[in-house]
Amino acid sequence: MNSIIDIIIKRRSIRHYKQEDIPKDLLLELVKAATWAPSASNMQAWYFIIVNDKKVLNKISSFSPGLLGNPPNVIVICSDRNKAFNKGGKLGRDELCLMDISMAAENLMLLATEKGVGTCAIKSFNGKAIQKILELPDYVSPELIISIGYPMKEAKPPKRKTVEEVSFENRWGERI
Amino acid sequence: MNEQDIMKLFSYIATSARGCIDEPKIYGSFRLVEIMSKLFWMLKSNNLIANDKLNRIIDKIDEKKYVCVKDEKEFIGLLDEVIDDLFELVD
Repeated sequence: MNSIIDIIIKRRSIRHYKQEDIPKDLLLELVKAATWAPSASNMQAWYFIIVNDKKVLNKISSFSPGLLGNPPNVIVICSDRNKAFNKGGKLGRDELCLMDISMAAENLMLLATEKGVGTCAIKSFNGKAIQKILELPDYVSPELIISIGYPMKEAKPPKRKTVEEVSFENRWGERI
Repeated sequence: MNEQDIMKLFSYIATSARGCIDEPKIYGSFRLVEIMSKLFWMLKSNNLIANDKLNRIIDKIDEKKYVCVKDEKEFIGLLDEVIDDLFELVD
């Protein structure tokens, strides 16, 4: 069994997919992992739209320049800003719900990696168009599209800064 | 190639144009070469273009374009190479 650090390091942003649908049960498992992410004040101001209808997917793709590699499925993670405001006030609506969604997305992508499924988190899309395509109510906004599919090939790891480069001990400038 | 293919390409271009106002600058360059690729494959699949040298340029773009998010310098090198290659093809 892979340890969590192995999975974290193994995850890549995949931009070449096989044209093979991901089973719906697995997509639901991924959403379950997402819903167990930390959530400020437990507001859970998120919704997950699983897209497996090719017609809907094609239309999303036309208005999402960041959606690359022709993925067979996507999950659109949406925020409910009303719910976030009611539970978390202005901070909840403007910042915390987006942080929650980011953490949910990471959970989803890590489980996908463990299952041999590739993902990529995408923000380059036209929100208004996606809102119309998915028939979202006004108070629900698409925040992230996660492309999902079996990777066509392994992606090379990108360069990362070392821990020493990005960490300090106790105070700014105090190198570890 | 049908009208829907054109509509999709135009939607992609317009969405990219809007996105470029707020997105990282380098995405604009990426979108432009991505559009070159989309247009080429659309024309090729309809037998409207058959130039092996251009095909090789597009293959190069498709193979290396994602480097833009990993290594900006390498991506700029790719763009310079593509321009040099195209220079040879234009009368």
